[in-house]
Amino acid sequence: MEFKKATLENGLVVAGEVNRSAKSAAVGFFVRAGSRDESAEINGVSHFLEHMLFKGTDRLSAQAVNEAFDRRGAQFNAFTSEENTVFYAAVLPEYLVEVTELWGALMRPALRDEDFAIEKNVIKEEIAMYKDLPSFDVMERCRGLYFGGHPCGNSVLGSEESIDGLTAGQMRDYFGRRYAPNNMVLACAGDFEWEQIVRVAEERCGKWRAWDAGREVGQVGGSGKKERREKGNLVREHVCLMSPGVAAQDERRYAASLLASIVGDEVGSRYFWGLVDKAMAESATMQFGAMDGTGAFVSYISCSSENVARVMDIVGRIFEDLASRGVREEELRKAKNKVVSALVIKNELPMGRLVDLGFNWVYLGRYRTVEEDISAVRAVTVEDIGSVIEQFDLRGFTEYILGPSRGS
Amino acid sequence: MAEKVDKHVLKNGMVLLGEVMEGVESAAFGFLVPAGAAALPEGCCGAAGVIADWIFRGAGERSSRELGDALDGLGLHRSSSVGSSNITLGSALEAGNLGEALGLYGDVLLRASLKDEEFEPARQLAIDGVRALDDDPRQKVGVRLREEFYPRPLGRSTHGRVEELESLTAERAREIIGENFNFGETIFSVAGKYDFDAVCGQMEGLFEGERRGASEPAALGARGDRYTHIENEGAQVHIGLMTETVRPMDEDYYEARVAVQVLSGGMSARLFTEVREKRGLCYAIGARYHGLKAAAGITCYAGTTPDKAQETLDVVTGEFRRLGEGISEEEIQRAKVGLKSSLILHSESTSSRAGGIAGDYYMLGRVRSLEEIKERIEGTSVDSVTGFLRRRPFGEFTVVTIGPRQVKVG
Repeated sequence: MEFKKATLENGLVVAGEVNRSAKSAAVGFFVRAGSRDESAEINGVSHFLEHMLFKGTDRLSAQAVNEAFDRRGAQFNAFTSEENTVFYAAVLPEYLVEVTELWGALMRPALRDEDFAIEKNVIKEEIAMYKDLPSFDVMERCRGLYFGGHPCGNSVLGSEESIDGLTAGQMRDYFGRRYAPNNMVLACAGDFEWEQIVRVAEERCGKWRAWDAGREVGQVGGSGKKERREKGNLVREHVCLMSPGVAAQDERRYAASLLASIVGDEVGSRYFWGLVDKAMAESATMQFGAMDGTGAFVSYISCSSENVARVMDIVGRIFEDLASRGVREEELRKAKNKVVSALVIKNELPMGRLVDLGFNWVYLGRYRTVEEDISAVRAVTVEDIGSVIEQFDLRGFTEYILGPSRGS
Repeated sequence: MAEKVDKHVLKNGMVLLGEVMEGVESAAFGFLVPAGAAALPEGCCGAAGVIADWIFRGAGERSSRELGDALDGLGLHRSSSVGSSNITLGSALEAGNLGEALGLYGDVLLRASLKDEEFEPARQLAIDGVRALDDDPRQKVGVRLREEFYPRPLGRSTHGRVEELESLTAERAREIIGENFNFGETIFSVAGKYDFDAVCGQMEGLFEGERRGASEPAALGARGDRYTHIENEGAQVHIGLMTETVRPMDEDYYEARVAVQVLSGGMSARLFTEVREKRGLCYAIGARYHGLKAAAGITCYAGTTPDKAQETLDVVTGEFRRLGEGISEEEIQRAKVGLKSSLILHSESTSSRAGGIAGDYYMLGRVRSLEEIKERIEGTSVDSVTGFLRRRPFGEFTVVTIGPRQVKVG
């Protein structure tokens, strides 16, 4: 495993991890552009823009772009979150240079009016699809409630109204603000030739002009509000809980991840033994989501209407117990083993490695080996977790429940 | 990169397979136990899911909690799934823990406690799982589609039916385990970093004395309805459709796979281009091959708002039919590269290799090398794929919709 890094004059960071024993390679552009960078008026633009990058450049039509990726057998896609838009592809090593050139070209898209009009329908279908998925819908509503009007709580997809009102001009303007080379990272992992990738980056991206995209960061969120909304076609209660946690830049993120695993891993956690094993809830998980300057513990639980009050009571007792007694040595040991083996397994694939490589640059501005991450997990103590619990009391959660009508 | 498959057959017939992978520190293993949804008696739909949960609630000397703690202590990433033919139980883990993990799985498969008081929550969770499907129409449409499409009982819901789960007793579930946990027909596979001699030695000690036997393949009944609509006041109409095609062991299998790839193998494939890119009808649209030993099909999903549902279905079925009218050389080339590339990318994951070699053995009675699969894909051509489509056209569909509006099925 060999780490490589170059910074172009315009600030674009190129980060690579070469692994000669891999059978494939993965490449990605990581752009610091997400729904928290949007105003209410243009909510959903980051994600819509992600779709529009696939529509091509002044020289490439959408069909030509899709064919170019498919001709090389690329497994390619993109995703948008509250903070980032990531474009990626996994390919056989011999195609990595061409696919990197292609992504490089697409980072300066045409954003044609006619493509914008058609793609608006696709975006509205995506919004409708997620409305029919209450496990997703409730998380998004809870984020909004938790951040109480702060842009971190913006919906990634936007609403039908915000998307209807969005113009191609507003999108071009947003693109101009966020897709600066010094606000992006180009990462590669797997079996590839480093010098070739640097050359592609210089040729394709070297002329982009740098400017300050900026972002206001800080510890935000935690309204502590509670809300329930009814939908006539639902049969289960979908519960989302959110409470503050450490930021992505905070060394205590490993302790926070372990705490989330102890409380809400799919199996063997406190939620599992308290709720799922006893068939009080069919699903109960907690995850720690680290963000730029802030972070949150997010739980999702699904259960029957008859059980929901008891479920909330049990969750309350789990949080009380953590506040008064912390975690036990034995449960920390198990959580570490699970987290470490997940790290090992994920990082055996170039695509898994790419994601960590890219995000480490985006959030920390540095390279971390898998071994460093494993050592950091192993080093966490019961006391470290205790101090996270003390500062970020899980009892102060914001709660959103989507469930069936209770009338009559 | 020529991979070698290890194979050993225990005296009772249980097959052990392995594939060593260079440069990895993990291993993944799985057991294919012939107790899938279609293998169980009538009236017990969903029992496989209950059993897959129940057997982990205490085994050997360990209580449910002790067993869970022991599995977690090894950092296992467990997976249990119920399919039409098999229950698949397995884990991915750090290679050093493989021996201990196999010991625990031996307990689970051979010496599960099966206590009455642990049966109730396992059954209740299965019932809740079926109810929760109502809040996930996209998944539910797939479950119902397989029920209607496959000759009974092949497509039987792996989640089960609430009425049948409610009448399932611990006693009946124990009988099913006794009849269906047939280790003579179980396939075990491991991939990644492992020592095959050590694995064989351990597996012999655990399983060799266990029952051999042969279960009868289920007698096939009729297929279900051509069109099923489930009313739901949701935002979209979720459309699932399936059409019959060749099975993995059949002559034209690779032609079928290439044909599906032309239809839906990437963003330049026909469905994505016609349904999403040109018309903006859907966000989610895609088709894939779904094969069982006794029957196979191409399954397709599209989700769209009610006003566009009819047009979406018409365009999708039109594209299935249009495939037989001709495919370009360029489309075939893209499809072949896509299939080969995906094969190699998946071969880097220990879980996916362990699943792949077991699946091959179950379907074909042998494990195909990556090289063989590449050659067979390479061997297809415009003529062979269009010839196949003339013999086996994608013309008749089983359709299921969930949503606020019905569609007309031609």
